Amino acid sequence: MTIAASGKAEIYALARQRSRIRERLSAWLLMLPALVIVLVFFGIPTVYMVRMSFNLHIDRRLYVPGFTFEHYANLFSNPLFTNAIWTTVQLSLLSALFTVLIGYGFALLVWLKPARWRMLFVGLALCPLLISEISIIFGWWMFFPKNGLLSYALVSSGLITDKISLMYTEFAAFVGLVYVTLPYCFFILLSIFDGIDKRVLEASADLGAPPSITFREVLLPLTRSGALVAFSQSFIWAMGTYATPSALGPDTLWTMGYLIQEQMLGKHNWPMAAALSVVLVIGVTCVMVMTRMLMAKRVAFHD
Amino acid sequence: MAGETALELERIRRNYGSVVAVDNVSLAVAQGEFVTLLGPSGSGKTTTLRLIGGFEELDSGAIRIRGERVDHLPAYQRDTATIFQSGALFPHKTVAENIAYGLRMRQVPRAQIAERIRQVLDIVRLTEFEERYPSQLSGGQKQRVALARSLVVRPTILLFDEPLSALDLSLRLQLRAEIKRLHDELAFSAIYVTHDQGEAMAMSSRVAVMNKGRIEQIDAPTRLFHEPTNEFVYTFIGESCCLPVRITSTAKPQDRTGQPVELKLEQKPPEGEWRLYVRPSRLKLAAEAQNAPNRLSAKIHFIEFLGDFYRYHLKSGALELFSDHRGPTGYKVGDIIDIGWSSRDMQAYR
Repeated sequence: MTIAASGKAEIYALARQRSRIRERLSAWLLMLPALVIVLVFFGIPTVYMVRMSFNLHIDRRLYVPGFTFEHYANLFSNPLFTNAIWTTVQLSLLSALFTVLIGYGFALLVWLKPARWRMLFVGLALCPLLISEISIIFGWWMFFPKNGLLSYALVSSGLITDKISLMYTEFAAFVGLVYVTLPYCFFILLSIFDGIDKRVLEASADLGAPPSITFREVLLPLTRSGALVAFSQSFIWAMGTYATPSALGPDTLWTMGYLIQEQMLGKHNWPMAAALSVVLVIGVTCVMVMTRMLMAKRVAFHD
Repeated sequence: MAGETALELERIRRNYGSVVAVDNVSLAVAQGEFVTLLGPSGSGKTTTLRLIGGFEELDSGAIRIRGERVDHLPAYQRDTATIFQSGALFPHKTVAENIAYGLRMRQVPRAQIAERIRQVLDIVRLTEFEERYPSQLSGGQKQRVALARSLVVRPTILLFDEPLSALDLSLRLQLRAEIKRLHDELAFSAIYVTHDQGEAMAMSSRVAVMNKGRIEQIDAPTRLFHEPTNEFVYTFIGESCCLPVRITSTAKPQDRTGQPVELKLEQKPPEGEWRLYVRPSRLKLAAEAQNAPNRLSAKIHFIEFLGDFYRYHLKSGALELFSDHRGPTGYKVGDIIDIGWSSRDMQAYR
């Protein structure tokens, strides 16, 4: 710092430099609250969970500090766990697929309908989000059993003669999962549709394309990336959901969520539960990264 | 108006609930004719266009294209092509793919498609842009692509839905000239919807002035300006000043408050309440007004400088009007001067 050589130009240069530093700093400062929340509530627990997955499990104590790959080895060799991973992935894929199909149709309908219907549909879609998952499960308990609503409706409509129970079946778990993920899927897709100028549909018809071709040539390409996001979102939700499949599915439906719970609370094996969770987190991350990579190419034509 | 009829509307009607958007509109567009539907917003001009395109259903009436009824057909079976206000280009397709779309739907062979894309891009002067996506084009370029996409399918009638209203002024003027040039070259039939009378007057063979779902007058631009059939058309086309006066057989004319005004008229209309309209660009001021058959003396209220001309706002009692002049005239705010006009430049309605 030479005060003697403080020509005006240098003063300006210094001031400019200082304001540039301030600019850079302010970005970090603005991010700070969110960063703190993410690190404290998500980052630290995740690190702790990863560390936990390497601890020892001796004498039915919750965990013994140490370092072992035993739980991971167990996870990938024991059919109990590999089957659970497979079951979870299968169930999640299927439910995500149906969620997107139903959500796509519903969002398309709401988008195409005049604005005055919109609030009604959006309100309807919001309803399940306002009710806790547990309450919704209780609702299914009135719906699926032998003396439940579904059975009653099927018998009284003459479709079947004897009452049936769909409670504690994989189908019930599947329906429950779709129901949980549908609202999120719907809102993602609706926002995608809202980004499309409806006139392009008219332009397509105007140029001679019947509705089926308009759908294939215009609507589908414009919503593909959104449908992909909705799919991965639903898939991730379904992967991590614990209560719905275990409350509605059969006793033999062992999803990862169920096993984590069982290892943690039933078997008092925290390292095993942590290892399962780590695998789940990594799996979900992979799906997200894959979605991102697929999307990057698709959205190139947007501004 | 030689040649066969490209499009014919016969008493078409469209309601939205209790609101009549299009009220028994009849119109015939000859082959190669450029007809503009001009009107304020809510006058039913866009609805009329959408009825022709097949985006809305008729409540009654008939639409014929080349003499054949089409109002029962869906949009994709009608031989029309619309240029939308937003352009409505397919954002996921390149310029060439956008233009090819209509040709592919009409099962034109591939080789021909390429040739026709090249031709039409040449016509709208966008030859180098084939591989661009719409997001890489400016507003004016987008509208030219939209125009090319519609032109290339050679429809019986082109439908323009305020295609220039989203553009800025200089671009609007440039594209308007270009559409006119294309019409002169290609002689397509078109219906052009706009609320901009400059656009309507400059481009059209005929202009239909619409108001409240009806056509008030349909005529060539010059006749529309000089021989308006009613007050709405007179006030809607060109600028006008309204002088509401009460004419009595004995006393001087009065304004609506009952104050007498210094107004001399060549032909005095019968007694009663009248709305006299004059064209501000045709008004003569002060000395020039000496020999005018119709005169009003009024006070200069304020003066606006608008670049090309000065606008003098004048007041006489409750009457207000303005008059445009090229140079400064030397008169100041507060001066009382004579304004004169010929009877041809005035209309009286009651």
